[in-house]
Amino acid sequence: MGALRAILIRITGTFGGRRRRAAMEEEFRAHLQMDYEENRRRGMSPEEARRMALMNSGGLTMATENVREQSGLPFLETLFHDLRYGWRTLRATPGFTIVAVLTLALGIGANTAIFSVINAVLLSPLPFRDQDRLVQLWETESAPGSYPFAGPDYIDWEVQSKTLEATAAYNYPNAMNASNGADAQPVIGCPVEASFFNVIGVSPMMGRTFTKEENQSAKSRVAVITYGFWQKFYGGSSDVLSKKLTLDGEAYDIIGVMPKALNFPSRTQVYLPKDMTTTGMRTRGQHWFRAIGKLKPGETVASAQAELSTIAANLEKQYPDSNEKVGAKVIALREQITGSSRESLLVLLGAVALVLLVACFNVANLLLARATGRLREIALRGVLGASRWRIIRQLLTESVLLSLMGAMLGLFGAWWCVNLIQNATFLPVPRTNPIALDATVLLFTAVVSVLVGIVFGLAPALQASRLDLGEELKSVAQSVLSPTGWNRRVRDLLVVGEIALSLALLTGAGLLIRSFQKMRAAETGVQAENVLTFATLLPHERYKNTPEQRAFFDQLQDRLSHSPGITGAAVATEIPLEGGNNGYIAIDGDPDPTHTNLLVEHNYVTPGYFAALGIPFIAGRNFSEQDLDYAANATERIIKLNEKDPNEKTPPDIQFTVIVSKKMADTFWPKEDSIGKSYHSPHSTTPYRVIGVVGDVSTWGVRQQSLPQTYHPFTMALGDSRAWGQVVVHSTLPPATLLSTVRNQLRQIDSSLAMIQPRTMQQVISENVQDAAVQTWLLGSFAALALLLAAVGLYSVLSYLVTQRTREIGIRMALGAQQNHVLKLVMGHAGTLTAMGIVAGVIGSLLLTRFLQSLLFGVTGRDPLTLAAVVAVLALVALIACYVPVRRAMKVDPLVALRYE
Amino acid sequence: MGNKTDVWQGTLALMILKTLESMGAQHGYGIARRIEQISGDQLQVNYGTLYPALLKLEQEGYVDSDWGVSDNNRRARYYRLTRAGKQQVKKETRDWEQATAILARFLSPEGPA
Repeated sequence: MGALRAILIRITGTFGGRRRRAAMEEEFRAHLQMDYEENRRRGMSPEEARRMALMNSGGLTMATENVREQSGLPFLETLFHDLRYGWRTLRATPGFTIVAVLTLALGIGANTAIFSVINAVLLSPLPFRDQDRLVQLWETESAPGSYPFAGPDYIDWEVQSKTLEATAAYNYPNAMNASNGADAQPVIGCPVEASFFNVIGVSPMMGRTFTKEENQSAKSRVAVITYGFWQKFYGGSSDVLSKKLTLDGEAYDIIGVMPKALNFPSRTQVYLPKDMTTTGMRTRGQHWFRAIGKLKPGETVASAQAELSTIAANLEKQYPDSNEKVGAKVIALREQITGSSRESLLVLLGAVALVLLVACFNVANLLLARATGRLREIALRGVLGASRWRIIRQLLTESVLLSLMGAMLGLFGAWWCVNLIQNATFLPVPRTNPIALDATVLLFTAVVSVLVGIVFGLAPALQASRLDLGEELKSVAQSVLSPTGWNRRVRDLLVVGEIALSLALLTGAGLLIRSFQKMRAAETGVQAENVLTFATLLPHERYKNTPEQRAFFDQLQDRLSHSPGITGAAVATEIPLEGGNNGYIAIDGDPDPTHTNLLVEHNYVTPGYFAALGIPFIAGRNFSEQDLDYAANATERIIKLNEKDPNEKTPPDIQFTVIVSKKMADTFWPKEDSIGKSYHSPHSTTPYRVIGVVGDVSTWGVRQQSLPQTYHPFTMALGDSRAWGQVVVHSTLPPATLLSTVRNQLRQIDSSLAMIQPRTMQQVISENVQDAAVQTWLLGSFAALALLLAAVGLYSVLSYLVTQRTREIGIRMALGAQQNHVLKLVMGHAGTLTAMGIVAGVIGSLLLTRFLQSLLFGVTGRDPLTLAAVVAVLALVALIACYVPVRRAMKVDPLVALRYE
Repeated sequence: MGNKTDVWQGTLALMILKTLESMGAQHGYGIARRIEQISGDQLQVNYGTLYPALLKLEQEGYVDSDWGVSDNNRRARYYRLTRAGKQQVKKETRDWEQATAILARFLSPEGPA
């Protein structure tokens, strides 16, 4: 107890020494005076009394020193002394200090910023209670991949599972029309089962969440809103629970507000009670819903997987029609959310760590150059009795001080970056945790900067420890400061390392740039120029049936296509690149059994769709008005029949027309003309007859292969519940300028409808490769930074070389050497270093780029073109770095040079 | 006077504490004189040992100090025992007695049994 207290007091005692010393001296004087007076009383003469008193004291200087040692911690005191000394030294060479601190700030700042993202995405636990027990549940089908749930399957799993403590079904978040007075705005709503909030263990910060009863009706008009939505739409007002929210024309009571930390499923703004009734859950075979679960304590992902697979196998036996080949898949929720970004984030962390290493090498290089100038000082300190360890410690303190200064500056930069990316949508990573400079990140920065300080401080410190004091002082006497061979070799090696590392980074960046180019040039199958797209959603209460819905879309298309500048307008359920619905098909008499396992994409379009997106017709014809009318009527008939009896078979006279993609035609009818051929869905006999073949389109993204695709008359997608339409507008004007025209037309037809996600088709494409764009941009900047640092390193080594050899060059020139000899001398050295760096860098690149493989598109990690380009860039930059030193060497005046002696 | 011994390490703290216990608040000079007196002038306490020891006791919380005025109207720093210090005197006294008793057995004419 007492000992601990003493240490604390001694730590604080290390500071404020001056006042303490004054008090101590006064105390000693008092002591001395009392002794003197006592001696006088005993009858001594004044001189004798003073002499005795001083003798008793036992040496005042030693006493002062002893007290000082006891009052503070000598270790700390040395540290502060070293820091003060280091600070003075750094201030004495501001040029060096500024360059070094900036270099380190860039390196450490970039690392901090990237680490803050990694910390939020990969390291921090999900902000849910017992997050390590949460799992995402999927179904599997005959085609590879994970698929959403069929409602009745989910209910069976929920009831039968013994490994899961609780489960919750929810829908994919989707857009709704929110009217907040005058104008309609899109809002992202997510219907969830009441248990959703219990499973993730997040309680509302105000009000309540849903009850089980609210899930048992399609008409529960209650809503739980997110913190962000509360702030944005209600200004965070405290009486929000008494307010109503109008969604798709229906008034909802706001019953709860969720805390700020909740952002799951991502983008959700409003939670609604999911319709868990038999109708709401639809039928087996209709895979629509998502589900999460919570493992019972002691259960694992594997044990749940085993159990659910058994349950799924039983369902398969029980319902062979709908559940054939339907299995189960369990995956940890954390893995589900962060898994896809892990690889690219780790690549970025690796790259930014390499940049920091280059920065370290560079500062070590600068320090070594400076250390040579300081050899005299260090030697002198050694001669005056400073131990080798003491000198190393002093130099390391100085370099750690330097890196801490860099870290401080770097933190400012990182803070700015984090502010920028905190809410930005351009960085496509999961945002379940907010990106922030929290304690973990600060700790990371602190540890990194101390390590960095030691790493780059090591070289000069080691050099100091190798000093031969006698030799150094002799050379001082000769006033020639010769760098030891060791110093020069280490500096050369550092530059080679810098060149090699930047080459590796450049290769990575080059590969990403090349694959990004390929992505942008990849054939999407559509002509994206001058195309604007947005979505509308017709609430079921206002647009109850096919005729009403069709009338709306007809009117919208009509008004739009007659607006100035617009050359075509169409409606579809899906637009290219953003995925869609799919299913299996069957062809009577098809000899190839693998066809039944192929997923076919479905899109429902109006006839103008192909022209608006520039999708070419290869064979056959487009949909006619008759096709649309027929499909509308037939669909209405089927809906009515199903309303009476869900198991009613589709009347045999119904036959739909369909347009297929080239890929679809080539896959299913490889050797014959597909026009006029029919297929049907695996569980129905209703034929779909092919009337046309169109060009292929990337359905699931630029990087995905195009899939077999069918196009149906848009009117088939109407009638049932809410009608969803993606509007595609083709124009002769830049599409962005059309936005207000289009918005006005929509408002004039129905002002309660929001214009959802208005974008140009070009934007749709760039959003699709946004992640690649960000990776390319970041890795490119890191590589540029490393290249710059390497160039500075090469420049400084060469400049130094020229300074060192000025005399030699002078003598050579005096003896008649030509300028090109001098040129050879300097360029030869630069060339050797660059060549060594390039060889090491190429080997390093070949080893490192395999970590990049999964991020590449259309190029391999060993792309010779990229490698050649990168080597050329590096050689060019090295040449530029040589320019100034070489010019100085050439201009050496033999007379001036020899006068150095 | 030439054969005075310096106080040996570890015992000075107890001597200071004991002195303060019996005399109450006292300045450094007084403590030194008192220790020398009690030792029958066999010990010599100089600044270099006394003041670091006092500082250490203060850091450990066993003594407290304040500036005051001495008998002959001189400003001096007075040390006094804290409550923790009083307990520490008891504890150290006990420890010391125990230690000397043990040592005494070793040193007794019969030697360790």
